[in-house]
Amino acid sequence: MAKVKVATIWLEGCAGCHMSFLDIDEAIVELASAVEFSRSPITDIKEFVPVDVGIVEGGVGNTEEEEVLKELRANCKILMALGDCACFGAVGAMRSSFSKEEVLRRGYIETESTCEGKIPGPPAVPALLDQVKPANHVVKVDCYVPGCPPEAGAILYSLKELLAGRIPVLPSDMMRFD
Amino acid sequence: MKEITLTINGKTAKGREGDTVLEVCEAGDIHVPTLCHLKGITDVGACRMCVVEIEKERRPVPACTYPARDGLVVQTHNEKLEKYRRQILELMFTERNHLCAQCVASGDCELQDLAYEYQMDNVRYPYSWPALPLDSVNEHLVIDHNRCILCGRCVRICDEVVGVHTLDFGYRGWKDTVVADLNQPLGESSCISCGACFQVCPTGTIFSKNGAYQGRPEEYRKVSSVCPVCGIGCKIEALVKDNRIVRIDSPDLTGKRGVLCHKGRFSPLYQNGERVRTALVRNRRGTLEPRPLSKALDLVAGKLADIKARYGASSIAGIASSQASSEALTAFKELMGATIKSELIDTLDGDAFRAIARGERDSKAKPAGLKEPLLEEILKADAIVLVGADPSESHPVAGSYIARAARQNGAALIVIDPVHNAFQYHANLRLSPRQGKEAVVLDLLSRAVIEKTSRSRPDGTERIATLLKDIDVSRDSKQAGVRADDLLEAARVLSKARRTIFVYGDGIMRHDDPAPITSLLNLATVAARPGKGGPRLIALTPGGNSRGARDMGLASSSQSVAKSLKNGGVKALYLLSSDDTIDPAQLSAMSKGVEFMVIQSSHLPPAKTKADVVLPSPRWTEARGKYTTLDGLTRTTSRIIRPPRGMKTDAQILSEISGRLKK
Repeated sequence: MAKVKVATIWLEGCAGCHMSFLDIDEAIVELASAVEFSRSPITDIKEFVPVDVGIVEGGVGNTEEEEVLKELRANCKILMALGDCACFGAVGAMRSSFSKEEVLRRGYIETESTCEGKIPGPPAVPALLDQVKPANHVVKVDCYVPGCPPEAGAILYSLKELLAGRIPVLPSDMMRFD
Repeated sequence: MKEITLTINGKTAKGREGDTVLEVCEAGDIHVPTLCHLKGITDVGACRMCVVEIEKERRPVPACTYPARDGLVVQTHNEKLEKYRRQILELMFTERNHLCAQCVASGDCELQDLAYEYQMDNVRYPYSWPALPLDSVNEHLVIDHNRCILCGRCVRICDEVVGVHTLDFGYRGWKDTVVADLNQPLGESSCISCGACFQVCPTGTIFSKNGAYQGRPEEYRKVSSVCPVCGIGCKIEALVKDNRIVRIDSPDLTGKRGVLCHKGRFSPLYQNGERVRTALVRNRRGTLEPRPLSKALDLVAGKLADIKARYGASSIAGIASSQASSEALTAFKELMGATIKSELIDTLDGDAFRAIARGERDSKAKPAGLKEPLLEEILKADAIVLVGADPSESHPVAGSYIARAARQNGAALIVIDPVHNAFQYHANLRLSPRQGKEAVVLDLLSRAVIEKTSRSRPDGTERIATLLKDIDVSRDSKQAGVRADDLLEAARVLSKARRTIFVYGDGIMRHDDPAPITSLLNLATVAARPGKGGPRLIALTPGGNSRGARDMGLASSSQSVAKSLKNGGVKALYLLSSDDTIDPAQLSAMSKGVEFMVIQSSHLPPAKTKADVVLPSPRWTEARGKYTTLDGLTRTTSRIIRPPRGMKTDAQILSEISGRLKK
């Protein structure tokens, strides 16, 4: 049987969801025989190729992240949001009650350890969006694994469902927002 | 009430007339999700989680406010309703900030529980991200409006159960928020910090400063106990982690004696000063130094025996705080009375008892007819007379009862107090006599009530009428500082009332002047309805176990021991402070001229206190103990947390001293 192709991206998140994926321990051996990773922070491959499953960690907070997410969507058949940031915005969205200007001023000028700070901007770094959005507010998302980070068991459950040809929906007792 | 039969999800369900559809569902074990509903307070249908379909209704209706009727056909779960509920949850999550990973309530949140139940793994609506303020001015509580779902539980509990009605909704539509009073910070409002709002908040909006981020509910151990801080004896449930109390709840907030106050809910979460963990003995350089307990007890027993041999038993005085448990007080009485044979035994609030005892003795009322009612009688009264007491400070839970009786039951409230009293705002009438003229006003009121009462008069009226025959309302009211019209109006209210209850406090419990209590007993006697159970009086005595100490005869000496100390002749003083905090001025006055002083206390006395030996007491949360409430109920506290290693109970220490002296 041909291996299922998977690509993962890491947007406005902490990499904790990718780490939690590695916490599936020995199950990774079995998974490796069924799955092939292309672009991913784990493989360090940067180019997108068409895949079966795309996995997004992190919220969408700047123009680059928006572009990367759209590119993944265009290249995958099924898109999975992994973790609270991709599902809800979560940690990155803490800034969403404030204006972009306030956030940048606080971060680059007013922080206690900063002297003569300067706010960076395009083209050096991508421009911030007004708010940090969950993945499904930017592109169509097919399934969700919330959690901060999601437990390894919830990730494994969802991947196995996908391999079995089903769209995973986490049962209530596997749901966690923290 | 008439039984009714409904059809719920195709099955027969029984209820009673007056039930809501939700109540019938709950009685029949049919789970309907709720958020704003809370048993014991009015349902308002704010959250819409409990929507159900009812045959012949055009759209889904909230089960919590829909009156159940005979023959209703109800559907609680189907695809459409589940879709609506999930939609409602998503709307709630996107309206404000409900990102669980950043929230103090995560793991202990009813909104989160429902999101899990409904497998809400994403939200389809745009977030509105309002930047709402966070109010942290209150000493114990924080309100983070960003977490609020406007269920209104806090508003209703504050109004209906606590009776203060500090919280309500302000603004409209999108801007709707819970506000305190006229939009003051909570810490500057009429809030009494009882914490009921915090206990009922289904999200992380209202939280306690000292209990925040201490762990998750599954890590806590629950201990049922009773709060002995004032004489009301509220039941509490403490949540403990690593031998630390992180939270105190009421086990039955909306039930009988369920409301707590800040003293029971929050004060055990804080240390009040430095703990005494071991016995301390003053050394030659004048500083207190740790000493093994048995050595310190040897020293105390030796000193007491020596002073008794030199100056006699009457040179040794003992004063106990009535915050101590009955076990401790019994052992204290045993030590001072049976063992040392001193007559100088008293409690710190002994003057209050002497005032009551003298007041009763001088009264023309038959003391046998005086029954102390249960605190709950306040809620059954149609007239309440509050004399020299501000329960909002001393006994906030009694204050809740009075406010509820006045606001909800329409009871007439008459406040008689020379000084500012928080209850004057709830009062129909406020009489403000000149300081020291309370007795005159009460006598005038008795006189006016006797004149207004045409119906059959209660026992004792004739004797009291004779006593008061020479006073005159219009003539004498002026010199007492009140208006004659007000007195006559108060008399009219009392003569019409069917159940009047009199609540009095330390404002008139003065050892040197029993007259106000005598006059109050007389007034209660003439205002009672014959055949309705006699006069009802509640004394808001100051200590948590005042009633226990009084019943034990601890303050039966006719004169306060503190006064004897002033007169000299006392060589040794044993002060059982237990877990009380004693006023430093009172403490230094007591220790003056004493040769040897022992303080048994949970916390170090102020640095300047002349104590030769300090013995350790457990805090009330650390020992099992019996207490008698001010209305005569016996309550037993549990050991919620472990005391410091090797610490003995107050009673054990006192008995060990007795034992040493008897040898």
